Amino acid sequence: MQYKQEEIKKGIKLHLLKTDKFKTNIIAVFLTTKLDRNTVTENALISAILRRGSKNMPTQERISVEMEEMYGASFDCGLDKTGDNQVLKFYIETINDKFIPNKNEGILENSLNKILEIVFDPFLENGVFKKEYVEQEKVNMKHRIEGKIDNKARYALDRTIEEMYKEEPFGLYKYGYVEDLEKIDNVELYEKYKQLISKCKIDIFVSGSIEDTTKNTIFENENIKKIGQREADYIVPEITKKDLQEEKNITESMEVTQGKLILGLDVNLNDEKQKYATLVYNNILGGSANSKIFQNVREKAHLAYAANSSYMRFKNNIFISCGIEITNYEKALGLIREQLEQMKNGDFSEQDIEEAKKGIVATIKTIDDEQDTQITYYFAQELSQDTITVEEYEQKIKDVKKEEIVNIANNTQINTIYFLRD
Amino acid sequence: MQIIENLKVKEKLYLEKLENGLAVMIIPKPGIQKKYMIWGTNYGSNDSEFVVPGEKENTVVPMGVAHFLEHKLFEQENGTNSLDVLTSLGVEANAYTTNDHTAYLFECTDNFYEAMDELMDYVQHPYFTDENVEKEKGIIGQEIMMYDDYPEWRVYLNAMSAMYHNHPVKLDITGTIETISHIDKDVLYRCYKTFYNPSNMTLVICGDFEPEKILEEVKKRLIDTKASGEIKRIYPQEPENIVQPKIEQKLEVSQPLYTIGIKDKREIDVQKSEIVKKHICIEILLDMIIGKSSNLYKQLYNDGIIYSTPSLDYEFAKDYAHVLVSGQSNNPELVLEKFKEEIKNLKQNGVSEDALSRIKKKIYGGYIKEYNDVADISRMFLADYFKGICSFDYLEEIEGINVEYIEQVLKDVFKEEKMVISIVRN
Repeated sequence: MQYKQEEIKKGIKLHLLKTDKFKTNIIAVFLTTKLDRNTVTENALISAILRRGSKNMPTQERISVEMEEMYGASFDCGLDKTGDNQVLKFYIETINDKFIPNKNEGILENSLNKILEIVFDPFLENGVFKKEYVEQEKVNMKHRIEGKIDNKARYALDRTIEEMYKEEPFGLYKYGYVEDLEKIDNVELYEKYKQLISKCKIDIFVSGSIEDTTKNTIFENENIKKIGQREADYIVPEITKKDLQEEKNITESMEVTQGKLILGLDVNLNDEKQKYATLVYNNILGGSANSKIFQNVREKAHLAYAANSSYMRFKNNIFISCGIEITNYEKALGLIREQLEQMKNGDFSEQDIEEAKKGIVATIKTIDDEQDTQITYYFAQELSQDTITVEEYEQKIKDVKKEEIVNIANNTQINTIYFLRD
Repeated sequence: MQIIENLKVKEKLYLEKLENGLAVMIIPKPGIQKKYMIWGTNYGSNDSEFVVPGEKENTVVPMGVAHFLEHKLFEQENGTNSLDVLTSLGVEANAYTTNDHTAYLFECTDNFYEAMDELMDYVQHPYFTDENVEKEKGIIGQEIMMYDDYPEWRVYLNAMSAMYHNHPVKLDITGTIETISHIDKDVLYRCYKTFYNPSNMTLVICGDFEPEKILEEVKKRLIDTKASGEIKRIYPQEPENIVQPKIEQKLEVSQPLYTIGIKDKREIDVQKSEIVKKHICIEILLDMIIGKSSNLYKQLYNDGIIYSTPSLDYEFAKDYAHVLVSGQSNNPELVLEKFKEEIKNLKQNGVSEDALSRIKKKIYGGYIKEYNDVADISRMFLADYFKGICSFDYLEEIEGINVEYIEQVLKDVFKEEKMVISIVRN
């Protein structure tokens, strides 16, 4: 795999990942902007409107038909919260020309032009977004926002984050808020779109069998030519001091059979380099089948089927989650607290550390075997302005020492305990 | 070894049937670091009544045994748990149970052979005790309750029970808290001995391997077992008609969830190419009727009835088959009505050549995409093998599908009297 990046204009970057490992090519366009209560809903809506139609493909059926003609190119868009940024993501995945019965269809070039058109040259009526599309997408977005209760485990996690980051950008729901939707109309939304496009950070990824002409296709693309350079308006994730807080306890009820317990932890770091030790810490705590939480909550006490923890590195939080019998709340919480204490006391072996490292290293090694993971990896680096190769990353994990892990444990505290029950 | 090459996707399958009956499939992936191994038995949640080879009487076991066995197989006599051992090697290990098979697997970059030692050892050496069986009931109980909270799972399972009178495919793979309470170590051993014979199992390996060499590595790790005779499986008589056209459940959800099911029948003794062709046709038809580029989707979306493309599936095994259309809608009954109308129109107006050739392209591309990841490839070959299919067949059969054939499938399968709708709403 060869990775190259090049600035197209200030604030707009092209990332080329040349690899022959896959049957597919992926093109991704990411628009990154600050998460803000005032714009979160409209940005979510913009991402929904763009997939409704572009200048030459005015309806979503037209887009779908074009994609089908390109041997089932899949066009998709998503919305992510990455640190304090909201990222609008657009993807096209196509098969390599090598696997197409009639050669020379030039699918890569074609799909590049299509995705750039969808993002940068939307379908307009009287110079603004089509009213009908905006009204329909407002209703859809309302459903999507309200739909956050449907997956109870995910809902419990979202609620925990909301409580931990009250009044802060990261606490915002990525799809925005129902009460904002009413205020937005098509004329205003188009204005907001123009503002977004003129100031957001733009990253274009192309992964797969890239040809020499691919770069030119992008540089020569009319839509790329038309957008200007910018001081990209986004937040570079950095370590911030977390104030020591009293544990918050929140219990909410909903119609559930099983209780969903989430513990949101703050990890206090002084230095970016401590993130590697935090990864190892999390793996020993709840990141694998050998972890303390899985072994003690599930295997020994049989309180749960799902019991684990995950590290959200942009914000330095660890989230422990498990699904339990509602009456076992105290018991499960007690066990989890015990594991956190043990970590603080260094009550884990060199073997635990070695095994955790092996697990993490294995995941790192597969980055290059998974096309979408590869893009996510390089995009995360791009955002944090951190350049580290997969090999260096691996080495950093291997270098982590026990005292560094214990140090992380002693700088980790429970911020919020959230319980969803009946 | 038999070598099957597919020139379209440019991959090769090496297939060997060993003397003890075990089928081994190897798909080499040069230049890929990830390696994947999966060992499956043709034994799933549907197999709760059978005749043990050599016996005369039927054996009936509680629902949920196949899945329970999957959990318990990791336990070792020396007190270790194989999942822990595999994890400590830095490999990602797992197992799963479906209606017709159970599989044990791992994925890794390093320590492949050590992990292979462990996997092949634990699958061949069950160790069940009263105590370790009891303990698992608590864990599986929580797994069952977790599924109870997934509205997508409830709406699916309810659709099955609206279609099937007797067939166990309508029941939870895990069993219920009540049925698993009857499971003990004797039941587990009995099912293990019946279904974990090599002649009922298939092993798939995908990664950067030399096929001949890796086959030898498999053979080295097999314990000496003779192929058993055929296991007779008894499924209850299932009428062709549905149970009820509509089923509803109340759950706390933002918008109703729906699953439309169409009960299909599986003709016994059809050629495998026919099974594959029929499957492809149904995929094409579903796309034409309610897929992303269809008129119906456009209409329902623009009217605010549905908000995203429904998921479209055709599920089948040796003795059942059904079509599923699932999604979220504020008016599921209307979705069903329009769906029926669209089918009627398509039957009347016929399938257009243009649309067919376009959707075929789309589906062909979809098949190619399935060959990116060692895990996806292995799981696909395993699941298809248990259905009597080679996954490559899809790439080969699609070309020959024409308007006449597809219209016949439309007539045979998409029948109003075979349709059900399952709804979960507040």
